[in-house]
This record gives sequence, structure tokens and C-alpha cells, in this order.
Amino acid sequence: MTTAKRRYDKSGHLRFGILLALAALVATAPRAAQTPSGAQALQAACGACHRPDGPGRLARISAVRKTPEGWVMTIFRMQHVHGLKLSDAQRDALVRYLADTQGLAPSEAKPARFALERRPNVPDLELPGNLQTMCARCHSAARIALQRRDAGEWLKNVNWHLAQWPTIEYQQNARDRHWWRTASTVVPAELGKLFPLHTESWRIWQHHKAVDLGGRWLVHGHRPGRGDYWGTADITRGGDGDYRAAYRLTDEHGTATDGASHAIVYTGYEWRGTAKLGTLDTHEVFAASADGSTLSGRWFIADHPEIGADWTAVRAATQPQIVAVSPDSIRIGSRARIVVFGSHLGGKISFGPGTHARLIARSADRLEIEVAVDSAAHPGYRTVRVGRASDARSIALYDRVDRLEVTPAYAIARLGGGRIDPVSAQFDAVAYEDIAAADGKTRALRLGSLPVAWSVAPFNEEAVRDRDVDYAGHIDAFGQFMPAGAGPNPQRKFSADNTGNLFVVATLKAQAHPAASAKPVVGKAHLIVTVQRWNTPPIY
Amino acid sequence: MKAQEFAIFGLFLSLGAAAFGATKHDYIVTGSKPDHLFVVDPAKRTIASEFKIPGANDFVGTIVPSPGGRIAYVLVNKMESIAGIDLTTGKEVFRADLSTPGERVKCIFAFDVTPDGKELIVYELPVKLGLSEYKVEDTRFAVFDTRAGLHAEPVREFPAPRRVHTILARKDGKSFFAIGFDLYEYDIATGKRLGMRGIRHWDYPGHSIPDLLAFWPVSEPTGIFASPVYSTVKPPSGHGAPVAKTALMTLDLATGKLAFHDFETTSALIFSAVMSPTKPEAFGVYSQLSKIDTGNYTLARRVDLAHTYYAVLVSTDGKEVYTAGAMCDIGIFDAETLAEKGDVRLTGCTDQSITSPRLIRR
Repeated sequence: MTTAKRRYDKSGHLRFGILLALAALVATAPRAAQTPSGAQALQAACGACHRPDGPGRLARISAVRKTPEGWVMTIFRMQHVHGLKLSDAQRDALVRYLADTQGLAPSEAKPARFALERRPNVPDLELPGNLQTMCARCHSAARIALQRRDAGEWLKNVNWHLAQWPTIEYQQNARDRHWWRTASTVVPAELGKLFPLHTESWRIWQHHKAVDLGGRWLVHGHRPGRGDYWGTADITRGGDGDYRAAYRLTDEHGTATDGASHAIVYTGYEWRGTAKLGTLDTHEVFAASADGSTLSGRWFIADHPEIGADWTAVRAATQPQIVAVSPDSIRIGSRARIVVFGSHLGGKISFGPGTHARLIARSADRLEIEVAVDSAAHPGYRTVRVGRASDARSIALYDRVDRLEVTPAYAIARLGGGRIDPVSAQFDAVAYEDIAAADGKTRALRLGSLPVAWSVAPFNEEAVRDRDVDYAGHIDAFGQFMPAGAGPNPQRKFSADNTGNLFVVATLKAQAHPAASAKPVVGKAHLIVTVQRWNTPPIY
Repeated sequence: MKAQEFAIFGLFLSLGAAAFGATKHDYIVTGSKPDHLFVVDPAKRTIASEFKIPGANDFVGTIVPSPGGRIAYVLVNKMESIAGIDLTTGKEVFRADLSTPGERVKCIFAFDVTPDGKELIVYELPVKLGLSEYKVEDTRFAVFDTRAGLHAEPVREFPAPRRVHTILARKDGKSFFAIGFDLYEYDIATGKRLGMRGIRHWDYPGHSIPDLLAFWPVSEPTGIFASPVYSTVKPPSGHGAPVAKTALMTLDLATGKLAFHDFETTSALIFSAVMSPTKPEAFGVYSQLSKIDTGNYTLARRVDLAHTYYAVLVSTDGKEVYTAGAMCDIGIFDAETLAEKGDVRLTGCTDQSITSPRLIRR
């Protein structure tokens, strides 16, 4: 089997293109007469090996619940390891049926959503008992937490692990213990207790009536390294049950981007979209709230899931509401142009004590306001009010920038080459002023993203000696570290790979920095540039 | 066959037949992906012959030469088959396909040939293949008759502990050692466990449970198997982080003597080691070549290598050290100074990866 065959298509995301074509075909025909039910399709595709083990049940399959991505991975394995032949449309239909009938309730998926959203460099969950060392040394703990089985089925899963990867018990992460003895006895019991098949939350969720997500939504989000954005999403539900969305977004630099998405909602709340945002091909992993009032998650570039943005959408209300205020802060004694985004914004504008607001431009969902801050204003947060609407997030007035916090504080990038794309690392810098409070303590005032210059530096003496800065890659003006190529490099000691151990350094640019302060304001993060990852499943 | 091809074929045959000279000297047998087997003449710095292993299925693993070096038994086919290749003709003369319909069997690097060359002892990890599930079965030793030809089946089987990674036949031919969590010794004829000595349960005062996974079953030319072992000890002050120590494990295949000796506070990774036949020294390799003084158990010398090697051999006269495995060349070093003396690059520069290069003398 080639490596290319093993890979999930591009980002490992669900693929909707063929489904779209199928939907167009069946739209004109009575579906019930020609399309087999989900149960029939499952029986036809899987029943040759997965024999009935009870009324309406198929061995193994009926004993598991998981996310849409989890089902994609299972079917992918059946196709590539066990010779299952399916068209992409058949595969997508099976995923839809299985995720709907054997998915996770929102509360079950919630703790591990970061894994579905492909958020890079996020601290993983901690599993109790033996599970952290037995499972989460190789997998993310999130991957385990996104599955439900009873102990007997977990035991079968453990058997499958060692059958499929017989070297497990020899590997460094396992050979410090009698792996198989623990894996085949206490581990299934612990998993069955922690992540059982039958739960009250799933029982209740199965009776939940799905809410139509069609309508106008107000969107805001933050893209690390690029800043805030906001705009509208017009969502419609098609006769096939799929959603189409049209986006009109603007970022904090004033750049407008239109987009369009085609999405399936699995399990009544799991929005998975394939979208075009400007020139970017993206995937969307959002969750609808139970009442259908919010749609939140993350979108990411299809080929590079590590690059993406937070996304929060709220239904456009008939009441006045502020959805976003940008930027997050204004320096005391200066003037700034502030955008307030929301709906039904009218009436008196206030940015709180020490400020003077003047409306410059108004559209249906957006106010552009010039705010002047008195030199004598006290640093701190101010609530933004427009008529009856107020922004809970508020805006910060600051004297100076004391420090920059670079996130993620610890990140991994992976070299690329051959059939394996590099995995970049995206950094973001958030500015803070530390204010001495009356109680003698220091209070951090969050100022949001301010203009910074990005650079890298050796993390330690070894990195200096091995010239990691020269070999490991480079960081661009937006805080994205692009790793170098993989493979032995004869120029390096031991012909080593272009791995590296680096500091990522953000330095505040002069325009955001009061001239009085001579000391440069810098923030640092730790970056490990490491070797390729050879399989890229939707859930690590 | 065209005349030109015929001529090349003839040359190839004669090259194979002429590979071994009239007087005995050292050869290195190594393998590389996807199906190559090489006989290297280190004295001449050349490849003496090269063969393709049938049904290797992109995997060339552990190599076990027969006594006398006539045949190389090679773990191939994703650890599911052992192919015996005649090193004079290149012909496959033995094959044991471990898996059968309904049962998939892997051998994770651990097998050896008896000193009389008549039997192979193979460590097996079987899995029962059900219609919609797998069932992990108990591990076992299987014994094959080396004269069984291309469809060898086990002549005896007996239970084995899990996680064995090396099998080494004892020189008297009556028993074999299996290295895993601990060191076990079994009767070859009956499968009876004759003894167990601690590795995980070692008695090394002040030391943590060790980590050991050297699946290069090299004991030539001394008859003593050597392997790096890692553990930690409490710092001398009694406070602070534990200190990593590298020890050398030695197992004398004639006497059965097992010993562990720390020789350094770990300052370099060593994958595998070999004992010198002429001096109280051992050599270890990874990205550096290390010489260990086995009289005093200290690090005697260490040099950086151009790249990483996994395996190390030493010539029968003790004068040269050979680094192999990982990539596509064999490095030749002076055993005294560890200075590089030469290099033999394998045809096509294919990766040796985790194969276990072996020294034969014929």
C-alpha cells in the first residue's frame, strides 16, 4: 500500500463534492423509491463481514458511537485495509447515517471539540487511571474521548490494535510495562466505565428535534496572525437537507472577503462545511447550539488545517445587538477609528468615561466611529454602548504596552517533503498593560493584537551550535512559521534533518509603542520543528 | 534473452560463484529495501554479490546466517516469512511463511539457527482473523527443520512469554535464550523453561528498571552477545533529577553468563553493540561510534559519524569496525583509533533500515 493511498483526501476532511452531484440527481426523483434507507445501505456495504448479532444489529458496528470524523476514519480503514469497495457518495451517505444514529450528544463531544476543529498546539485532555499512559501516549486523549463503547467492545478494539500494529508492545511508549496484560484486562473496563455506549445524554439527544439553521446570521471571529473579522452569513436549507451559506466578511484591516459554503449537519448539530473564502479552500467544523441560536467552531484551510480561525455566528436578532468591536484597545491620549458590528444599531454612542465618540459612517450592520481618549483618562476596560445595545466584551484604554504574550506558548511545526506537506505553526501576539491595583496586586489589561514584527532565535546552546535558525525554516510577517524540507541534510552534523529548537519572538512595532519607552517590548514562544508525520487522519 | 543480457547474466552468475575465495576471510551480509541481499567484502571494499529475495514484500529485517555462512535466513514479508537464501547461488532454499488462512503470524525480529544448522527457532505473535474482529493469541516459539525446503511448517511449538525481541541459540545446541522483559532459557527439544534471569527484574543496586530493545542479534565473532541498556540512578547528592546511565549487557552464549556494567552517564544514544575478539573492548553505534573499555567499563573513545547507523560489526582479527544499517552504506573504521578507513555504498543506495547486518567467515 502506498503512502499516498493511505492518506485521507487532502486534509482528511469529509468530502462533499460528489455528494453535491448526487443531491442534484436525486432532487428530481422520489427518493424513497430509489434510495435505499440508511440501514439498508449499511447492511449492503458492511453486512458481508459484520453479521447480525441481534435484531437490527450488525456485529461491532452497532456497538459503537462516534463523531462524523470517527466514522470517516473507520470506513477509510475498511476501504484501505479490508478491501471495502464504495463510491464516495455511498461512503458519505453511510457516514451521515451512522453519525445521525450512532453519534455523540453535544455534551459528550464538547470537551474534545478542539480535536475535531483541528486546533493546533492545544493542550490535550487528561485521561484518568491507566488510560493516559496506555492510550494517550500514542493518540490524543481527545480521540479516545470522542468514542463510546461498552467494555466488551473496547476489548475487541484493544485486540484490533495489537493485531493491526503488532509492534505496539515493543515501542518505547509501551515497553516500560506489560502492555498487553494491562491493555486486555483493566483498560477495557476503565474505558467502558468512562466512555460507555449507553448514556443518558445520548438517550435525550436522540429525541431532540433538529432546528432549521436557515436565516441571516452575524459572524465574528479571530484569525491568529491576521486579526479580527466580522460579517454576515445567509444560510438556506435545501430540499436535500444540506445547507448552503453565503458569507460577506470584512477583516480589521478593512479587507472584504465573500464566501460560499456547502454543509451537512450531522447528528442534529455537527456542521461540516466545504467552503470557499475569497481564494481559500476551507473546511468548517462548527457546532449549532441546541436551540439553534449560535453556530460556533473553527474553519481552516483545506490543505493546512493548522491555519484557520475561530468562528462564532449568532442569529441576526430583531433587537439591537453588538456582535463585535474592533480593535480591542485605544491608547490614552490618542484617537482611533473603531468599528462596531451588530444589528439595529442606533441611538447614543458611548465608550465610557474619558472618551469622546463621533460617528463617521453607518450602514445596516456596522458603525464606524472615531474615538478620542483624554490624556487624563484612567487605563481600564470600558463598556461600549450604542443605544440600548452594549458589548459585554468592552474595549481597553491603555497607557503603555508592558508585555506581549505569544500564543501558542509551545508549538510544533513539521518538516515537509515528498508526499507529506509541511505543517506550519501559526503564532499570535496579544499585548498587555500591567496596572497596579489598589490592593497592591497587578491587574492585566488585555489590549488585543497590536502590530508586531516576527523573528526566530535559537532556543538553547545546542540550537546555536547546530545553527537551527539557518536550517529549520522561516517565519513570515504574519507570524506563520514555514518549516524547511525533510530528509538528511549533509550540511548538518550527523547529516541531520532540518529539525530545530527555536524561540519565536514578537517585537512590538514603533507605531503602537509610546516614544517615551526605550525598551523594546517583546514576547516569546517555544517552537520545536520536528520530523514529518506520516499519517494524517481527521482526528490525531 | 538477448546476447548482451545473456552475457550480463553470465557475468552475474560467475560473480556470485566467485564471491567466496579459496582462503577463508570475513564477509558482511546485509539487506536493504525493498528486497535486496548483499554480500560485502570489507577487505576489498566491494560488493561481492547481490541478490533479490523472492516475496520480500518491501521488508528486509533480521538476518541470521547459518553456521559456516552458507545460507542467510532473512525475515521478510512484513515480518511474516523467513527466507533462506543460498549465499553462493542466490537461490531461495528455505521458506517458512508463518501466517496461515485465518491466523496472521508476525515474528518481531526474534529467531536463530541452532549451532548444527538443522533447526530454526522462531518467536511468533499470532492473531486469529475473524470475520469482523481480531483476537490476539498467546505468543509461542516455533521450531522449523531447515531442510524442509520452500514450504516449511513448524515441527514443534511451545508457549513463549510476550515481548521477546531476540533469540540466541546456546553454543551447546541444547537450549536457547530469549530476551524480553527478562532473560529466559528454554530447552530446544522440549520447550521446557530452564531458567529466568532478571533484566526488568535485574539486581543492580540503586538502578531503576532498565530499558533494553536491541534487536540486532549479533554475537560473532566472539560468541558473546552485547547490547546497550539504559536506566537511571539517584544523583550522588541524593537530591534532584535521576541520572541516566548506559550499561553494557553481555551474554556469553557458551557459558550462559549474563552481566550488566554501567560505563557512562548517558551522553549519547547507542542502538547496538559488539564485542571485540582481541581486546577487552566493545563498540557501540548510532550517530556516534563509541569504544567501551570492558576491562574497566569506561567510555574509551567516541567519534561523530557522517550519519546515523543502527548496527555495528567487528572483523575477526579485531582490527576493523563496520557500521551498517539505517541508510545505504557500510562504514569501515580503525578499531584502535576509530578513524574512518573506507566506505562501501550499496547498489542503488537503498535503505538498510532495521535489517541486522552480520559477519560471516568463509
